[in-house]
Amino acid sequence: MIPQTAERMRAGYLPGLDANQLRWQVLVFERAGKRLEVEVPLLSGAQMQALTERVRAAAQRQLQSMPLAEIVGAIDRAIARLLDPADPYRRQIDACLPPVCGYDAAMVRLGLNGLFKTFRAPQLWRFIGEDFANPAVLDGFVPAIKGGAVRAYGPGLLLHSWAGNVPALSLWSLVCGLLVKAPSVGKLASAEPLFAGWFARLLAEVHPPLADCLAVVWWPGGAQTGDSAEGAQVLYAEADTVMAYGSNQTLAALRQQLPVTTRFLPHGHKLGFGMVGRAALDAVKAPANARLAAWDVMRYDQQGCYSPHVFYVERGATVSPRAFAAYLAAELANLQQRFARRPLDLEEGAGLARWQQSLEWRAPADDGAAPQLIGPADAPWSVAYSDSLEPLAPTALYRSIVVVGVDNLDGVVPLVAAQRDYLQTAGLAVGPEDLYRLAGLLGAAGVTRISALGAMGVPEAGWHHDGRFSLLDLVRMTEIDAAAEAAAQPLARYAD
Amino acid sequence: MDKADTLVADLLAFIAMDGCTDDQFDQLALRLFAYQYASNTPFRSFCQRRGASPRTVKTWSDIPAVPIDAFKALELRSEPSSPTERVFMTSGTTGRAARGRHFHPALQVYDLSMQQHFATRFMQGTARMPMGILFPDEVTMPNSSLAHYLALAKSAFGTPESRYFLGPEGLDMDGLCAVLEAAERTGQPYALLGASFSLVHVMDALRAQGRRFQLPAGSRILDTGGYKGQSRELPLADFYAGLTELLGVPPELCINMYGMTELSTQFYDNGNASLPSVKSGPHWIRSRLVEPVSGRSVAPGERGILVHCDLANYNAVSTILTEDVGLWADGGFLLLGRAEGAAAKGCSLAVDEFVQAARA
Repeated sequence: MIPQTAERMRAGYLPGLDANQLRWQVLVFERAGKRLEVEVPLLSGAQMQALTERVRAAAQRQLQSMPLAEIVGAIDRAIARLLDPADPYRRQIDACLPPVCGYDAAMVRLGLNGLFKTFRAPQLWRFIGEDFANPAVLDGFVPAIKGGAVRAYGPGLLLHSWAGNVPALSLWSLVCGLLVKAPSVGKLASAEPLFAGWFARLLAEVHPPLADCLAVVWWPGGAQTGDSAEGAQVLYAEADTVMAYGSNQTLAALRQQLPVTTRFLPHGHKLGFGMVGRAALDAVKAPANARLAAWDVMRYDQQGCYSPHVFYVERGATVSPRAFAAYLAAELANLQQRFARRPLDLEEGAGLARWQQSLEWRAPADDGAAPQLIGPADAPWSVAYSDSLEPLAPTALYRSIVVVGVDNLDGVVPLVAAQRDYLQTAGLAVGPEDLYRLAGLLGAAGVTRISALGAMGVPEAGWHHDGRFSLLDLVRMTEIDAAAEAAAQPLARYAD
Repeated sequence: MDKADTLVADLLAFIAMDGCTDDQFDQLALRLFAYQYASNTPFRSFCQRRGASPRTVKTWSDIPAVPIDAFKALELRSEPSSPTERVFMTSGTTGRAARGRHFHPALQVYDLSMQQHFATRFMQGTARMPMGILFPDEVTMPNSSLAHYLALAKSAFGTPESRYFLGPEGLDMDGLCAVLEAAERTGQPYALLGASFSLVHVMDALRAQGRRFQLPAGSRILDTGGYKGQSRELPLADFYAGLTELLGVPPELCINMYGMTELSTQFYDNGNASLPSVKSGPHWIRSRLVEPVSGRSVAPGERGILVHCDLANYNAVSTILTEDVGLWADGGFLLLGRAEGAAAKGCSLAVDEFVQAARA
């Protein structure tokens, strides 16, 4: 046996609570001989109540009167520290997130840099500008074009329920909450219980007035009884807005726990795909595009909502769809050298093998057009090629992808339209006219984001996640009618 | 005698032996492989894709393991279909719609395999016992391998008063209680056999009536098949403790059978006094624990997916890849449940959830 190095740390962020008064549960992460023990807090109903009240009061006192520019400045300073490889927070992230999530350390570093860059001040202003023509509505009443004035208020208490496997996923919703000045309580995912607490602590460090405005908690998933279930119930009752990530099952169970008046903003599992047109399939462009496509498959081993499952590739160019699939396989083999796939546990491997075998056993029944696996079955990636139109369906993940040869990309639209409920990102490699024409068709079919190949996994600052408004969906508007303004005039001290 | 008849005759003789050497097992396994490779077309294509042929396969563990899903997608058979063949089908509770089919041109190999092993592991030397069967009969479920298995247990090892307690009207609790009372009175050991979920229903009914029995020494219980959504799921410890408490059968004589429609041979444990129990089979079946993607055997002490090479499976394929997780233990293997394929922890959609949503 390889000797194990154990490290223990505490997760969460609980302003005002005495850590010694809490119960802690240990989550153990063991990979490649390294053992990490993460203590997560279990709050009773009373403790959760106290925490909620403190966060709400602090936000009222500090955050809600803080100019937006000051909040943006604070986030920018925190992000600058996260982008600094020598910063202690960043070093902790680089040291601990790979063993917790199981991803290759280089992949995590790269992914996080891409993510953090989208939260610098200029990007944050774009993010805000995407939802608010005049960001000043977040600071106070501003004159409305129709007359009167309008102001945006964030939630009275925003609850975040995070999912696991994409590291630092929590940053998106935490930043959204801050920008609309909401007191926030986030629930850590058991599969990645670290980042959110660190970010909260870092933010408090760079801007102490924010210290008590957010909290990060945990409770065991599916807990129905006991102290921690009471804690959960308190939050479900107190939050007026809930932003949640996870499987549709998890989301449905969560929605059931919430009062009907609570605004519920779910982000469920999604199904991404790519399209490669003839123009991208000559001898020079095809290998380059296959490399970009391979990046989309590699990033976080396809665990993101934006990850592709199928690439539809047009026939009739110099490079055939089958040859494109071979390029893609070769690029995935190359990427394995730089960013190794996470070691699969037995159950994950069994799922992958089952997916491969289901393709294998379809083959003889057909006229040779059914999917074929390219490359060795035990390679740490798998590419299946099909010459007949295949529905858009999930693969086994962990770098398993289907390439489908099609006569023209328009023919794919009905197939993806059938999965309307699951659509989000489509990665396209086509010329400008085709881009706009296909975007029109795909948008109508339910796709909410069209990206370049190679960029499916790095959404831009200000993107509309799942087609919704990141900030606008969080706020309510308060209006002063033009008539109210007019009616106030005669009551002014200066009235004639 | 044609090739199949000779093979069947040799198989019957092999099963009837007391044991076998590694060499004997290998010889028959390779003969069986060559036969199936020659006469089972989908299996041959599968082997060719894996680069396996009678020339390259040197021992039983080289035989490509066919995933049980293939029994759903294709007809895996060496002999052409005939009106007299029996078809056993999987119950279709594993999450995918199609049912796996196992074709038996005749049942003499299956039956001998069952009886040989049942006699030692469950009957333990007793020739016949009164039996109560907690499962539908073969007329009701002609495509259930378990219905056939239990019918065979009853006809080959049960005394004439043995009977079924599960009919179209459901569980005959009154009848069952009467028989159990009689057993208590006469002191003659009694055997209860059935699906695990049927035994849960029996225990629930006994608890509801406030009844319990102390069956005579030597009485025994055989359960199999898990719960399949037909009853509430019980932890193993509660299940066997309940049987002991309510029926008075000690855990040593509560025997679990692990079988599969895709196989013709079953595995048993030596009672469930310590959990999880160690399962083992007779000399004509061998198992491996593999890493699912590569198919390589796992290192000692590690969990793996079970592969079984069952020489009694002469018509379909001898070697199958299950979806069950196992771990080697002294004298056999531990069964650690089913490898469902872990749910995606991120935001990407995994096949399992998609299939569930599509069915909903």
